[in-house]
Amino acid sequence: MNCREVDEFGAAFAAGALDERQRRGALAHLATCRQPHPDARMAPALATVLASSLEPVTPPPALRQRLMETIEARPQEHAAQPRRSVRDAVAPLSPDMSPRPFLGWLPQSLARGLAVGGVTAALALAVVGGSLYAQLRDRDDALRALATTIAAGDAALRVSGEAGSGYLVDRQGTGATLILADVKALPADRLYELWLIPEQGAPTAVGTFTPSDDEITVVPVEDDLDGYSGFAMTVEAERVDAPTTDPVLVAPLEG
Amino acid sequence: MPQPTQTDDAVLAVQIAAGDREALGELYDRYVSVALATALRVVSDRQLAEDIVHDAFVAAWQKIGRYDPARGALRAWLLTIVRNRAIDRVRSSRPSMDIDAADALALLTSGPNPTWDAAVERLSARELRAAVDSLPPEQRTAVELAFFGGHTYREIADMTGVPRGTANGRLRLALAKLRNLLSVGDAAPLTEGGSGPGIASSEVAHGLDR
Repeated sequence: MNCREVDEFGAAFAAGALDERQRRGALAHLATCRQPHPDARMAPALATVLASSLEPVTPPPALRQRLMETIEARPQEHAAQPRRSVRDAVAPLSPDMSPRPFLGWLPQSLARGLAVGGVTAALALAVVGGSLYAQLRDRDDALRALATTIAAGDAALRVSGEAGSGYLVDRQGTGATLILADVKALPADRLYELWLIPEQGAPTAVGTFTPSDDEITVVPVEDDLDGYSGFAMTVEAERVDAPTTDPVLVAPLEG
Repeated sequence: MPQPTQTDDAVLAVQIAAGDREALGELYDRYVSVALATALRVVSDRQLAEDIVHDAFVAAWQKIGRYDPARGALRAWLLTIVRNRAIDRVRSSRPSMDIDAADALALLTSGPNPTWDAAVERLSARELRAAVDSLPPEQRTAVELAFFGGHTYREIADMTGVPRGTANGRLRLALAKLRNLLSVGDAAPLTEGGSGPGIASSEVAHGLDR
């Protein structure tokens, strides 16, 4: 489907009135399109409204007991998956190894720093995760999202640089989220641009943002991390197709 | 008694993801009656509806790692899982949806919808029912055949004897009216005699007459 078709059939999509082929076509479009498509994107809310409009039905007490007995024996999906450690992720960039091709784009000093630093992220991740979990009720949605992803076992890679530091959360095939603390402010005519760097070839632009006064900044990354060797952030005057400045934040990828 | 908020649900999601079974029990307590009503409306069989609800909560337990609070409310994800499973059971003649994929993708298209989410949190089931009931009959029928019946707009067109474009148009109009109504509700005063903010049925009807 294209934008016009998704708008034309957005309400049918939201109400669950498309056949499987059309539904998948709409989903494929919506997963990558940045247009609002308000009807289609209302699907979960419509489900809630319609379901909540029904007269509630009281379940038998035995149903809850049955559920609790069932989950006692059912492992959670994410708990059964091996966690990709941050140490594994940065291992290819140990000082004994040659810089990866994407590092050629980076300043040598930054590349060396990247290779040596940040390998304690696994430990830091555990500390941050615990801290977040204990303070959930006092934090904002961004921190809850981070805690959720960490608790769910998604890989979280430490990113750092002169612009700030934080984590790049790999949503395992459903995109990624960049979560930064205390991002360095920029002049009004500048923005941060995010890049994914492949083993070979030019970096791919995957989003922009302008820093706010918030302590925590959460930015969706517009592509999956799979197949890329590195992540970087530059300062640009506008969204560009190729970086025009040196990175102010970097992280290696691939485990 | 105040309804759970999305913030409460987000905390609950973290606890469930951390393997807290009591948190899943709390999620069950919050939404089982709505989930069971949804399943029962679709399948019209009490025992089957209970099985579907049970399976949906088990799925939520197992797949909570896929849930992303940034994409929408936990309740919407759960109720979509219930609805998908129920439709899958009654529409056996239709090519089955991939339930695993449907669970994972249930919120892929969505970001939080502050207007609707706030309305659902604020309004009672009676008020929401009044909103849906206030839709013109042909629009309400189209929405219910789709959501609770699992019918495509093409099937709805055949069933109601109208062109496909008309069936699709009725769904669009219904959604637009519900959106308008719930947006109207944002600014509505306290319901007379109610225990909290909300919109009265008369206001619901008034909003839909526009």
